[in-house]
Amino acid sequence: MNYFSIDTLYHLARGPMVWISFLVLILGIAYNTVRFIFITKKKDGLTLNPLPISPSTESDRFPGKGVQRLLNLLKQTILSVNPGTIVVSLIFHFVLFITPVFLLAHNILIDEAIGFSVFSFSENISNVFTIIFLLCIFFFLIRRILLPRVRAISSFNDYFILFITAAPFITGLLAYYQIFNYKIVIILHMISGALMISIAPFSKISHMIFFFFGRFVLTNEYTIGKGSRTWNR
Amino acid sequence: MKLMTKQHLEYVNTKQIKKMLDKRRAKMTLSLKVCAHCSFCAESCFLFNSNNKDPRYMPSFKVINSIGRLYKKRGKVKRSTLEEIGKRVWEDCALCTRCYCPFGIDLPDMLAFARSICRSQGVFPEYEK
Repeated sequence: MNYFSIDTLYHLARGPMVWISFLVLILGIAYNTVRFIFITKKKDGLTLNPLPISPSTESDRFPGKGVQRLLNLLKQTILSVNPGTIVVSLIFHFVLFITPVFLLAHNILIDEAIGFSVFSFSENISNVFTIIFLLCIFFFLIRRILLPRVRAISSFNDYFILFITAAPFITGLLAYYQIFNYKIVIILHMISGALMISIAPFSKISHMIFFFFGRFVLTNEYTIGKGSRTWNR
Repeated sequence: MKLMTKQHLEYVNTKQIKKMLDKRRAKMTLSLKVCAHCSFCAESCFLFNSNNKDPRYMPSFKVINSIGRLYKKRGKVKRSTLEEIGKRVWEDCALCTRCYCPFGIDLPDMLAFARSICRSQGVFPEYEK
């Protein structure tokens, strides 16, 4: 048996590598959660939000009712400062999660593996989502290169993360339309996907976990809700 | 703003700096890692807004190039580097604590910590004498 054949690599990428990458993701998230708990403490009764912005506090700052109140709240968020980028970011994150989870090809493989899968979008819809995602990534790339304020704080790591996030979607689209050698492209798709999933908890992609910790759990001026923990110091 | 330095000004106690960095490593390195380099903190800084949107005044820029730099170099910095950092955290920042971060990173605390490290090596502005 040729251990270095494309077929071997394909089976490795499709099998153990997927499970290992998800295991690394879950363990990484668990590690980050435990780490967060250890470097924070429960809020004591004396800790106050200095300038509460949460909608669960007094309503004077968000006049109106229903939709009007919601709009007034949104006006006081980052959405009013950078509306274009925030809207693109929201679309980006939404598509980032729903595209691979509700992809027909993924669900067929999952069904073969564990006998269960979730609902799938049609392939055309998934392709549209992928293209929307790639347009968002392109927007972020251009923003990072052209805007001086973003360029000033950008490093190789930022461009690498953009690339590693885009790679599974690019290779997935190429594989679907069978552009280039399908087997090689699909192996690259699986490797790039596994890489992205594995490094997520250990890179700045970990903001997916810490966004919730930082904005909902920690007590500070920008806490959404009341917050329940503070830094240990 | 003129920064004061100790008479024996070439000396930097890198061991002391490292000890200070290690004491708060968990929170600081986590915050530096979580920073998405998105620049959404920029408009929350009045110095950024009133200095022609100069990126130097962005809270994230200040943090990355002060405490971030100290952690990257593991405290092994020259006095000239400390003076650069000192200028950044005193001249470019009023520590008004208005900085906003979509991920809830405690930017003022990181800048205050950078100041305390500079102060420990005798790098601080005249008005803090």
